[in-house]
Amino acid sequence: MTGLDRRGFLKLALGTTAAGLSAAAVAGCGGSGGGAGSGGSGKTTLRYAWWGNNIRQQNYTKALQQFSAANSEIGIEPEFAEYTAFQERMTTQIAARDVPDIFWIASPQVMTYHKNKLYRKLDDIPTLSWADYSQQDLDTFKLGGELNTLPFGIFVPVIRYNETVAKADGVTFPAEGSGWTWDSLAELLVAYSKDNPGKRKGAAYLPDHDLTFEAWLRQRGEQLWTEDGKVGFTVEGVASWIDWWEKLRKAGATLSLSEQEGMGPDWALVGKKTLVAFGNSNHIIDDAKMFPKERFRLRAMPIDASAVDGHKYLYFPRMAIYQRVDDDKLEAAGKLLNYNVNTAEMLKTVRLTMGAPVNPKVAEASKEFASQDEKEMLAVVEKDRAAQRKPRYEAPPGSSTWRTTMARVCEEIALGRTTVPDGAKKLVEEITAGIKRAE
Amino acid sequence: MLTQEERPVLETPGEDPAPERKRPAFHLNRQGRAAHVFLIPWQLGFLLITAIPLFASLYLAFTDYDILNPPEWVGLENFQRMVQDEQFWAAVKVTLVYVLVSVPLQLGFALLLALILDRGLSGLAFYRSAFYLPSLLGTSVAIAILWREIFGDGGLINRGLALIGIDGESWLQNPSTALATLIVLNVWTFGSPMVIFLAGLRQIPDELYEAARVDGAGVIRQFTNVTVPLLTPIIFFNLILQTIGAFQTFTQAHIISGGTGGPANSTLFYTLYVYQQGFVAFDMGYASALAWVLMVAIAAITALHFLVSKYWVFYGDS
Repeated sequence: MTGLDRRGFLKLALGTTAAGLSAAAVAGCGGSGGGAGSGGSGKTTLRYAWWGNNIRQQNYTKALQQFSAANSEIGIEPEFAEYTAFQERMTTQIAARDVPDIFWIASPQVMTYHKNKLYRKLDDIPTLSWADYSQQDLDTFKLGGELNTLPFGIFVPVIRYNETVAKADGVTFPAEGSGWTWDSLAELLVAYSKDNPGKRKGAAYLPDHDLTFEAWLRQRGEQLWTEDGKVGFTVEGVASWIDWWEKLRKAGATLSLSEQEGMGPDWALVGKKTLVAFGNSNHIIDDAKMFPKERFRLRAMPIDASAVDGHKYLYFPRMAIYQRVDDDKLEAAGKLLNYNVNTAEMLKTVRLTMGAPVNPKVAEASKEFASQDEKEMLAVVEKDRAAQRKPRYEAPPGSSTWRTTMARVCEEIALGRTTVPDGAKKLVEEITAGIKRAE
Repeated sequence: MLTQEERPVLETPGEDPAPERKRPAFHLNRQGRAAHVFLIPWQLGFLLITAIPLFASLYLAFTDYDILNPPEWVGLENFQRMVQDEQFWAAVKVTLVYVLVSVPLQLGFALLLALILDRGLSGLAFYRSAFYLPSLLGTSVAIAILWREIFGDGGLINRGLALIGIDGESWLQNPSTALATLIVLNVWTFGSPMVIFLAGLRQIPDELYEAARVDGAGVIRQFTNVTVPLLTPIIFFNLILQTIGAFQTFTQAHIISGGTGGPANSTLFYTLYVYQQGFVAFDMGYASALAWVLMVAIAAITALHFLVSKYWVFYGDS
């Protein structure tokens, strides 16, 4: 026997447990990340959260490291996740009041976070410059009259087509202008699908794509959301959009749900089966890489003669500084935001996957290092940015599942389980109910 | 083991029994205290990870809680909402169909394989491991890819059908067949019940089969009159486990439908709907209410199983 009797052993066990629990408790009080905040060394550590694919993760991590190397007094703790997981993690972090100092904002959550006062105002941070932006830009950036989020990219809805395939198949797109209408596009897609050597279809079935749906609505004088946080479109408005798609599908101009393996198809799968894609302007950068031997081009959305003035719009992905950020971190946070949007340096590393730069000078500078696809994207955004635009409003609290609902309704219509008018009515009712619950 | 009443009382001759000291209602001797000290880690884990969240969830079921704001008491509103909720009923229907079809199929298949393996095959350990493998893979992301390769539009099955002139559509995107592919997936992950059946079969004494043979029983008669009755406790055990597991099916549906429960709600499992409400819509109050309804339903069905078991489960000592 060793010298340890049972009493001694129990004391030791109890002591060890107590010590372990104390350590755990202390660790729990310490917050995540250990060194977050200003340490004794005078170095400020910022937590930076973003989403994307693995390429974006690598690019942004590298760019943040470059920023830290150039600003030795600032350390960065990267927090990356895939888009859906990012939102889940943000929500739990918000509940635990453990929010990253700087975070990207998923589009369905912009107004939800605003309502819950998660954003710190940005117009009083000396290290963050607004000098390059026009007053119109700044007014567009504001949420509820406050400059509390920072747009860091611009997307616009586009028609992207495979120019290599189009040329090979002898397809000529109508010139942009009076001939580039929804009807002319539909005719082209139907005619192409009926007769092309590769047995491609005109497009994938995508009535649930948000930006192009919004373009359709705005041309008809409707909008996605109203200023006071309500559904901005009518049952007739959404029905007309789904109907346009249904006519295409029934005419064999789109892939069937079976061919594209469901709603929200994978580009790698449908890119080789279609001529045209409905999407965001920035998608060309990653999507074109999957078909390196082919050239893709962008077109602005078709416009009918009856389209109302000011229907063009810009969509901004946004980032923000957490409301409860320590005051002694603000200067560093401002520097990092500045690096994100007001210089072209970071873009050289992360490229333009998050859209055209919002800062006009940076947008101009980025043309020098932009790839062919990025230049294509910059050009189409520049045109829409120069156009007259009516205000656009962000998704209100309670609407976070609207795209899932829309995909489900469109799927039911395509499968013949409901009609377009009934589906449209159901969609508006479900989204309205969600918003009402959140009020 | 002797009960407290049966234990002999040892008395010292010539002495009056010592007056019994009144012990406090909650008394622990040294061993008891030691046991509790050693149980502290488990008790803490149980409290922090199970009990407290469980009761917190019960409270949240009666609130409107979006995580960002404090919960607001709404009484039975969440439960009343379920009655009107089409998605809820779609999820209930999908889950019930899945449980009722996949559990018997899986158990039947597992029993069949166990009977084959119990016949003294050489290389039994290999087969046992090989058949168990799908159980380990069943909820992995790789399965989504595998299932698409098998059941997708251009998958293995449709390519096979094309050879005989049939132009098949994606089995995963057809609401009539999508759930069936998940049932096939569940049946394919038969390894766990199979191993338990195999262990049960090994416990049946050979003498009983010999006696049955002497009495003229053939293979089928031996199976129905010897194997099945003696295996009923194992069947019951597997039935309970697999039923509960089937009610809680989540990962497969999430992976294969991309979290949507599509096409047209045909794979909207109950747990997937709970997840959608909790982590997509951030409606934690409603999600908690849904989760409690599921828990009560599983408890009731398990209780029913136990109630009915006395009519068909035979234990050795009964």
